[in-house]
Amino acid sequence: MKSIQQRLSIGLASVLILVGLLLAQTSLWLFDAGLRRNLGSELQLDADNLLAALVRTGDGITLDQTRLSPVYERPFSGRYFRIEFLPLDDLANADLRSRSAWDHVLPLPDQAGLQADLADGPQTQKLLVYRANYRRFGQDLAIIVARDYTPVLQSFQQLRWIGLGTGVIALVIILLLQRLIVRRALQPLDVVRRQVKQLQQGQRTELDNQVPEELAPLVQQINRLLQHTEDTLKRSRNALGNVGHALKTPLAVLFSINARTELQAHPDIVDSMRTQLNNIRQRLTRELSRARLAGDVLPGAHFHCAEELPLLFATLQQIHGRDLQLHWQTVPDDLRLPWDREDLLELLGNLLDNACKWATARVALSIEKTTRNITITVDDDGPGIAGEQRAEVLSRGTRLDEQVSGHGLGLGIVRDIVDHLAGELTLADSPLGGLRVVISLPAPT
Amino acid sequence: MRLLIVEDQVSLADELLADLGCAGYAVDWLADGRDALYQGASEPYDLIVLDLGLPGKPGLEVLREWRAGGLATPVLILTARDHWAERIEGLKAGADDYLTKPFHPEELQLRIQSLLRRAHGLANQTRLEAGGVQLDERKQSVIHNGKEITLTAAEFSLLRYLMLHPQQIVSKLQLLEHLYDGETERDSNVIEVHVNHLRRKLGKAVIETRRNQGYLFNGLQTGNATGLAL
Repeated sequence: MKSIQQRLSIGLASVLILVGLLLAQTSLWLFDAGLRRNLGSELQLDADNLLAALVRTGDGITLDQTRLSPVYERPFSGRYFRIEFLPLDDLANADLRSRSAWDHVLPLPDQAGLQADLADGPQTQKLLVYRANYRRFGQDLAIIVARDYTPVLQSFQQLRWIGLGTGVIALVIILLLQRLIVRRALQPLDVVRRQVKQLQQGQRTELDNQVPEELAPLVQQINRLLQHTEDTLKRSRNALGNVGHALKTPLAVLFSINARTELQAHPDIVDSMRTQLNNIRQRLTRELSRARLAGDVLPGAHFHCAEELPLLFATLQQIHGRDLQLHWQTVPDDLRLPWDREDLLELLGNLLDNACKWATARVALSIEKTTRNITITVDDDGPGIAGEQRAEVLSRGTRLDEQVSGHGLGLGIVRDIVDHLAGELTLADSPLGGLRVVISLPAPT
Repeated sequence: MRLLIVEDQVSLADELLADLGCAGYAVDWLADGRDALYQGASEPYDLIVLDLGLPGKPGLEVLREWRAGGLATPVLILTARDHWAERIEGLKAGADDYLTKPFHPEELQLRIQSLLRRAHGLANQTRLEAGGVQLDERKQSVIHNGKEITLTAAEFSLLRYLMLHPQQIVSKLQLLEHLYDGETERDSNVIEVHVNHLRRKLGKAVIETRRNQGYLFNGLQTGNATGLAL
């Protein structure tokens, strides 16, 4: 899709060129016609003067040289005449011609009056030719007068070039001005475009309402949609929270009852009840957590690493005791991730929690942004997972937790979130000696 | 050790009271956030277990007001909200630990144990250790030289309190306040009886009486371990 700016420029340029050419050609043509008419009446006068200069002598009819303009004497002066006695085959009267034409013979047009076409003259001149028919001394005669039109043609050509030059310059100036005006006029659009971009990058949560009235409905609608999505998300998370609360408290009671001393006489019943309760708990936790995921429904969602990570790490430190060394770094330093805050906290929290459970002393997180991907790497110095077991762990995603506290579904939930964000999760050996979990998430476009 | 449980679900609170009572804690129970705000700050609790979804006042607000008022008692949040964003909120409000429902009762006990030890600057090991005495909190017995000395519930909670305050003089009043919940009648003579029982089981020098001041837990130092009645 071409930009509005481009469309306007192309449209304006073509209209200007078309109108400009038409106007220039028409005015040249009108000028030419007027000039010819003017010169035509002058030629007629010349012809009349020539007629008056005809005298009858003993040899026949000749021209009185004294009454002739000297311009007819100067060679190639641009003013020529020819007088023909009609009919043409009358040998007694040789035709009279101006000396200025030298040996060039002016054509004899069929029609009287100013000739529409220019005739060839001496020395590549183009001639405007006029023929007048008279009768004098009982003799029919045609006087043809001609005038060199080349200088006019040349100045026309010059005019054309000048016109073309100024036209081009004017066009460029007009286009530049138009660009400026259009840019001015479209500035609000540009502002909105920038804001939408910021929205996508998570630097703002709604568009600015101060826009021209043409844009207002669009902006308002987008804002309303954003608000609506956010509200819906909040409501559904709230509802899920309530469901969770309603189900988890009775479950906690059941766990407590299950541990009562009265029941210890029947260990098989206690065991199978406990297994079932654990199943319910795992399923409940995982499904609720999956249902809470926002994904990328909110363009304004973002996670500011430098703000969130210290708190997350403080929480982890508190949960897992003070002697664990937790370390994190992001590239670049001021990294914002374009996903929902709660989703990412859930992802990183579970991932790091899992690492902390297994680590002996050190856990490290690094988040790196490249043009197309965001890579999250978590290292620990725990026992790690043997290569052949990794696939198994990934396929079920539960084993990792079961052994430490029997609580949480860390990697399972991590997997759900990674799937939801269309990312990839791989396990590798960590340089710290334990397990390395690498998550690669495609950056949303 | 005296605990406050703030939980609005009666059935769960009953279970918690029973479980923690068995584990030798003196437990008070409240269901309303406003009551908790007042009583938590005015009674000398050693630890508070706090639910977040409370009637009257949300748990997080109660916690924030406690902390703003300078209350340093360790607080364990017990809630169905198990998301990391919520855990972080809890931490920001001043919680010391966060346990999500549903939980295994023994998990809660372990968390309370470790929070108490941490609050008193002791290492979090399988057994509580102070002054050469090893206390198994699950079995409520003392391990010494590979032998197990069983304690009664009252002896156990008294010894645990003293062990969490090693090398400190603990007054009788303090013991009465921390070993009995708000509804039990307190009799300082009972304390004396239990101290004597402990001395008989672990040796005279384990607990020293400071006249008009209180008791001092010395533990089983090499010098006084000889008096151990085994």
